[in-house]
Amino acid sequence: MKIKRYFALTRAGILESFQYRLAMLVMIAGNLLYLTVVYFFWKAVYSSSGSDVVNGMTFSDTLIYLVLATALFNFMEMYTVWEIGRNIQSGKIVLDLLKPMRYRSYLFWSYSGTLATQFVFTFLPTFIIVCIATKGAVPLGTNLFYFVISVVMAVIINYAVDFMTGTICLYTESIWGINIMKQVIVLLLSGATIPVAFFPEGMKKAVGYMPFQSIYNTPLTILLNEKPDFTEVFKALGTQAFWCAALLILSSLFWKVSLRKITVNGG
Amino acid sequence: MSEIIEIKNISKEFKVLNRHEGLKGSFKDLFSRDYKIVHAVDNISMSISQGEIVGYLGPNGTGKSTTIKMMTGVLEPTSGEILVNGNVPYRDRAKNAQDIGVVFGQRSQLWWALPLVESFKLLKDIYQISDDSYNSIMKLYKSLVDIEPLLHKPVRQMSLGQRTLSDILAAFLHDPKIVFLDEPTIGLDVSMKSRIRALIHALNKEKNTTVILTTHDMGDVDALCRRIVIIDKGKMLYDNDIGHLKGFFGSYRTLKIRPSGDIKEQSEKLKNELDRFSAAVSVDNEWISVLINEEKAKVMEVLGEIQKLHDVRDMKLEEISTEDVIKKIYEEGVE
Amino acid sequence: MKRKGFRFYFRIYRKILAQDLKSKMSYRADFIISTIGMIFTNIAGFVSFWILFRSFPEVNGWGYHEILFLYGFSLISLTPVQCFFDNNWSLRIYVYSGDFIKYCFRPINLFFYYQSEVFDVKGLGQLAFGLGTLIYSWNRIGLPLTPVMILKTVIFLITASLIMIAVMNAAAATCFWITNSFYVMDLALKFKDYARYPITIFSPFFRFIFTFLMPIAFIAYYPSLVILRPDEVPLLSWLSPLFGCAFFWLSYKFWMYGAMKYSGTGS
Repeated sequence: MKIKRYFALTRAGILESFQYRLAMLVMIAGNLLYLTVVYFFWKAVYSSSGSDVVNGMTFSDTLIYLVLATALFNFMEMYTVWEIGRNIQSGKIVLDLLKPMRYRSYLFWSYSGTLATQFVFTFLPTFIIVCIATKGAVPLGTNLFYFVISVVMAVIINYAVDFMTGTICLYTESIWGINIMKQVIVLLLSGATIPVAFFPEGMKKAVGYMPFQSIYNTPLTILLNEKPDFTEVFKALGTQAFWCAALLILSSLFWKVSLRKITVNGG
Repeated sequence: MSEIIEIKNISKEFKVLNRHEGLKGSFKDLFSRDYKIVHAVDNISMSISQGEIVGYLGPNGTGKSTTIKMMTGVLEPTSGEILVNGNVPYRDRAKNAQDIGVVFGQRSQLWWALPLVESFKLLKDIYQISDDSYNSIMKLYKSLVDIEPLLHKPVRQMSLGQRTLSDILAAFLHDPKIVFLDEPTIGLDVSMKSRIRALIHALNKEKNTTVILTTHDMGDVDALCRRIVIIDKGKMLYDNDIGHLKGFFGSYRTLKIRPSGDIKEQSEKLKNELDRFSAAVSVDNEWISVLINEEKAKVMEVLGEIQKLHDVRDMKLEEISTEDVIKKIYEEGVE
Repeated sequence: MKRKGFRFYFRIYRKILAQDLKSKMSYRADFIISTIGMIFTNIAGFVSFWILFRSFPEVNGWGYHEILFLYGFSLISLTPVQCFFDNNWSLRIYVYSGDFIKYCFRPINLFFYYQSEVFDVKGLGQLAFGLGTLIYSWNRIGLPLTPVMILKTVIFLITASLIMIAVMNAAAATCFWITNSFYVMDLALKFKDYARYPITIFSPFFRFIFTFLMPIAFIAYYPSLVILRPDEVPLLSWLSPLFGCAFFWLSYKFWMYGAMKYSGTGS
């Protein structure tokens, strides 16, 4: 069974993340503390603004959005760029390329264990806490279903972007520089630090033509939408699907071309 | 002879978590408080004189590096006393560090991006080496190895052999009393190994530096050490001359013969014929090996007996190698 | 053996620094890319700041330019930790691989020896951004430019830097216990972003935490009160230089304690 060997990688990943139990406790505690900081900050911001709704978002909307964005980030961050970069520098990539699966899949499934643990230990608890703490401000209906689909596509888009950025490391030794540029662009333009609704009009429009907002803004907006309007939701999911396909093809092409170039040069 | 290292009954214990297997087990481990005590080093004593080269041997993970860490002051023993050049290492790590040099076979301690000579200059400042001593040791280095091409090469561009060589030179730079070498020849080719051994030998002679050598390569031991210490599972197995070690088992020699006729058949016959010599007979594709305990039978007698009964076309006599002896000790211990 | 005082360490550091800079020149592409990455980070920071304050002109009685002042202040105080203590980020890798042991055999201070190995030039870019912001907001607020004010600013910038260094030291040192300190360091950096805002937005409980346990309130808020609100300076602001030294010393002790404890266990 082909899928079985992928799940073997998932399992190994889960086992490995359990090895560092203190690290996990620290992570959970740290996250809670961080979310508290976010809460106080936005409460202060909203209370000084004098109005309950700013840019179409209430305080609890913004809070839920940002808290879940952080949780999504923690769960989706796969350090792919670092992984690829380090593998290239140490030469381990040669071994990985010899494995009987495509490198891109191998890397993804190796990390999927952590992805699963992160989902259960950081995203789910955060989500439940947010649901309880906001006393029903998170609408629980068909939007949940769309949200899940949207998150799956967000993971794929995020991974494709990461993988493309990682491929650049075949050309330069500067992993830190490449990674930080990617991270900064993605976090800002995807609406992970500030909801896209707050962006000025021109910027909103520009961001609309880029794939990044499909990673954070789209799933979270869908989640917060109490009465999902079909055309609207399908438009959002359609855009995501488009970016999924486009970026997967693009990253795969980029990898192939780069790899050929590298093998010709002898690395 | 003055004692440079004095170790009295040191032990070191670690607390480690009992890990469980499988997905469920590792989930349990998240909350487990089930620790066990591991005795990494268990009541070891020895004293080492100035200028000795001591081979420190033992299978992997048996407390060798723990002992070295205690001698270098990185680790405090759970119990027991340890004196290195009159200092208690862990109590004043920095002072102890001035008297010692350390080389790890695979972990360079030099500045990765710098040419070797710049690393040397930094070490000169760090160890506060006077200009005179620095110049004289550089002169010595130049007479021992072809150091010129290395001096201006960044460490990251060196081959493993060049890096090890440089690391050894760096460890001797401040004229330490003791140098610890941890598998210095690991991963090197044969000619590089012998160059490294020659260098260590020469430096030990020239500076009368005590050398503690851990290795798995018996070639290192044969070339350098007169004394060896063997530990296993934290306990001392052997501490004596290497000659004595051979005498220990060395009453054994292996007689190899090639008779005419079918080698398997002949060996079966030999087994019966040599019964009274209590010699062990084994066979491979080319040779019949007869392991003789010289306390029980003379090699010449056995050979004479064989010649009487068989047509011997070829023969050779082999001493038991250090490697074989060590293997025997690891496997059987010392009575 | 001669005593190793401040001058000894200063001379060694100067030499290592000079060598380090020389070797950095041989990685020019890396240097350029990292610098661009750093500039990106700062620009993105400003853009988020700008987007936020388009919608919310003030926070808890602090105006746009005052918050901008805090922002610049925190950027400058981040410079020393970035320049001189960047090796903290590699600590977990050395610890994980066991290579950390190689730092333990020199007859000089372990902490010094470890940190001296890396000097990060990128921090200087941060300094430029910070200075620019500080000067701009200084002008817009209309603060007087007297020697006393400048002296105060310099002293309190040093204080803030010490705190920032202490926080990162402590965060990095957690790897001696939990192996992967990356999350902790990342979290500390995230908290630092919120250090730019007045501590008064938090509840008393968190005010206590951020003052005494995780002293991020000293990174910008307490020190800048002295300059921005000279009429209502709390005692804590005047004491902050003391706190700076104390926290730095504590973090150093913590780091060394961890190092000594660790070096026993790694193989």
